[in-house]
Amino acid sequence: MTKRRIVLRRALSALVLVAVATTGRAQDSKQQFPVATKTLKNGMKVLVQTDHSIPNVALYIFYKIGSRNEHPGTTGISHFFEHMMFNGAKKYGPGDLDKAMEANGAANNAYTARNTTVYQDWFPRSALNLIFDIEADRIQYLSFDPKKIESERGVVASERRTSVDANNAGILDEQLWATAFTAHPYQWPVVGWMSDIEHWSLDDLKHHFEMGYAPNNATMVVVGDVSADEIFQLCEKYIEPIPQHAPPPPVTTMEPEQLGERRLVVHKEAQLPLLMIGYHVPQTNSADFYALNILRTVLVRGESSRMYQRLVDKDQIALEVGASQEPDLDPTLAVFYAQPKQGVDPQKCEAAIYDELEKIRKTPISDLELEKAKNIRLVEFYRQMRTINGRANTIGTYEVFFGDYSKLFDAAKNYGAVSKEDVQRVAQKYFGANNRTVATLIPDTGEQGSAKQ
Amino acid sequence: MNGKMKTARFAAGTLVALGLAWTSSAQTLRLPPHEKVTLKNGLTLLLMEKHGVPIVNLAAIVKAGSVADPAGEEGLASVTAGLLRKGTAKRSAQQFAEDLDFIGAEFGAESGVDFTSISAEFLSKDVDRGLDLFSDALLHPAFAQTEVDKMLAQDIDGIKAAKDEAQSVTLNYYYGYLFGKHPYARSEGGDEISLSRIKRDAIASFYQANYAPSNTILAVAGDFNAAQMRAKVEQALGNWTRTGSPQAAIAAPAVVKGKRLLLIDKPDSTQTFFAFGNIGTAVNDPDRVAIRVVNTVFGGRFTSQLNEALRVESGLTYGAESFFDSRKEPGGFAIYSYTKNESTAQAMDLALQVLARLHQDGVTPEQLASAKAYLKGQFPPEIETSGQLARRIARNEFYGLDDDEINQLEARIDAVTPAVAKQVIEKHFPGDNLVFMLIGKASEIEPVVRKYATQRDARKITEPGFWPPPAK
Repeated sequence: MTKRRIVLRRALSALVLVAVATTGRAQDSKQQFPVATKTLKNGMKVLVQTDHSIPNVALYIFYKIGSRNEHPGTTGISHFFEHMMFNGAKKYGPGDLDKAMEANGAANNAYTARNTTVYQDWFPRSALNLIFDIEADRIQYLSFDPKKIESERGVVASERRTSVDANNAGILDEQLWATAFTAHPYQWPVVGWMSDIEHWSLDDLKHHFEMGYAPNNATMVVVGDVSADEIFQLCEKYIEPIPQHAPPPPVTTMEPEQLGERRLVVHKEAQLPLLMIGYHVPQTNSADFYALNILRTVLVRGESSRMYQRLVDKDQIALEVGASQEPDLDPTLAVFYAQPKQGVDPQKCEAAIYDELEKIRKTPISDLELEKAKNIRLVEFYRQMRTINGRANTIGTYEVFFGDYSKLFDAAKNYGAVSKEDVQRVAQKYFGANNRTVATLIPDTGEQGSAKQ
Repeated sequence: MNGKMKTARFAAGTLVALGLAWTSSAQTLRLPPHEKVTLKNGLTLLLMEKHGVPIVNLAAIVKAGSVADPAGEEGLASVTAGLLRKGTAKRSAQQFAEDLDFIGAEFGAESGVDFTSISAEFLSKDVDRGLDLFSDALLHPAFAQTEVDKMLAQDIDGIKAAKDEAQSVTLNYYYGYLFGKHPYARSEGGDEISLSRIKRDAIASFYQANYAPSNTILAVAGDFNAAQMRAKVEQALGNWTRTGSPQAAIAAPAVVKGKRLLLIDKPDSTQTFFAFGNIGTAVNDPDRVAIRVVNTVFGGRFTSQLNEALRVESGLTYGAESFFDSRKEPGGFAIYSYTKNESTAQAMDLALQVLARLHQDGVTPEQLASAKAYLKGQFPPEIETSGQLARRIARNEFYGLDDDEINQLEARIDAVTPAVAKQVIEKHFPGDNLVFMLIGKASEIEPVVRKYATQRDARKITEPGFWPPPAK
């Protein structure tokens, strides 16, 4: 769907396929993209990669806290807190942080996910000291202005209306996770339920800050026109004096095994239906990660993929078909989605998806398909590594979700080791009927009555 | 994932920033060296070596965009581009996809307003296979009837799916209403009615008339040796001979006088998405750098006057911004935001006040200095990759912009004084003449938005087409 005029980039990237992957030439890439590391005395790990190709720097701080660490009643507090991290500390009061950064050529952003809250700074190297001053200020001395809390509540409600109310994929994805998970915190949306957004208190925010924002619960990644030594020196000056404290309590709830198919329907004013199917799969650092990635590549990546060929090209029942699996610390979902054509019963798309999964469960993929999938992973690796921003995000993601950034360079070996039989085995193990949740959006045409074909 | 997501980005080429590369000794930003050659068949070839990652990018411009669509068959340029990869003289659509995906390559073809872009990306080790696929699609598309039928049906449903997400079609309605009878009113992808009229013969004719070497600019950037790449491109595209029709000139759109308002009804909407403004500027406008600086202050970043007022200070919205969508002739200018149904008038009133304040008070020296630093600081990552560079130099060539567009950018930004900013505001930012477009729940918001214009129009989002309503 490249031809429609997309106005807004999606804030809720439920459908983004996160491909953290590589293959081939592991040693080469490790030497090409060396990383220097240091663990500060307060426990924060710092990773630095030098690249002088542009006079800029990308700095990411990953805090291991997200909606996974929340509880009913205050869902979405991690995300709301992320917004408050821009609304004033001790040295930089409300509004000062953004004004100081932009006046010095810097931009910032942040995102909250199920397991992490990630802060991003992009700046010319001349702003290096300022960025450290700001980051140290807000990690230590965040303040909560009651007036700012109320106006930011309105901002987050608007964000939710845009990413959920006005986005059919957003609303269906939210319902899918709420149904597939009955015990584990992945059941609630990162943005939070609207009634929780309306009721967070100052105390909830303070508690969240104390729980999650310890330096020993964070990883900093710096990539760009810097040297490792100067970053480590800045860290010693600005970050190291910040005392460590207890990290968030472990999340011990495990989702019980799903023992049968779950189905849900959303009726909404719309012209086209929508379909999502979620299967429980293991967390990112499991041994099956690589085979699952290869399987997904064969099924949905590119117009030669099995599901595109089947649903979009041959049967012509869908406009689009895809799959996603985001990085997660706990067992999560692999989600297939399809945009059926107007008037097509989503169950037709559902049946075609099951049929394609069944084929792989019965017969291994071809050698050519396996080779294609591995080739695609190799190019994806370079696509992630070609910008300082992409590198900072990828290095940090590997460090947090695999427990070691250098797994990025081992991925080559791990993908290389995946066999056709491995792909078949994970298809058999995870993509059965009892393990799935099926979400369908059915167009409700309102006062007009039945849908036009 | 939910983000703070500062300023919403417009994909329609709005915030296409200028990019640059860095030579640390001189402390000035310069484009990497590149060369321009005209092949014997008339094709303009631009070559730029960019090493680092082993990737090669091709970015071609064919000088025919949606402005070349025949009236009533809007979307023809778009469908033609989309079909390039859907089967060629020697490959079926499926075979093309297999060959492309096997090497992990990407191929894209889409029409914009002024021109059509065709691009490819592959590893440098696969350059022969990549060039073969690219030239096969560009030179020998088959336009098989079955593929034409499939694509038209998908595109028609794609527009309906886009309308289910109000914000994704805001600009289609806004530009339709702003430009009226001018070709810039068209949606590049056409609409549900115009697409249903397009026949295979029209696609083949459009291709024959417009896809020709003399109408084509090709930029190649990435990890290669320029001399070798030139020989490879000459081999792949040198035998392409066709005389295309030169691009027809179009008139500059007229600034809209007075006020008018279009309300698109989406009854399930919990928010109103609104855009308002008037005709903006052309890509080549002599004031372009100063406009960029002033718009950064007004609505082009997180601490802009608009976002400060509508988001930071009042919490009415997740984002508010303004942009100039510059084209060969003057394109659109818009102020854009969204807010819950109940605060529609409050947010629009506030946005209008911020615009009035810009005219009344201008920008402070402090704001100006900050915007200049911001633009310069955020500039280098815009042409960090070979893909960005290839697209940038092809676009500059199309619009007749020389390398100083990038090499002199810092100096030109530095030259924007408060006096220049004042002139730019008077000349380029709309005052009382305004075109409004809103998508929302009409039954709730119509009574409160009447006050913005005496001339008002309305449609339902589910009715086919955008604006004006297509003739049946």
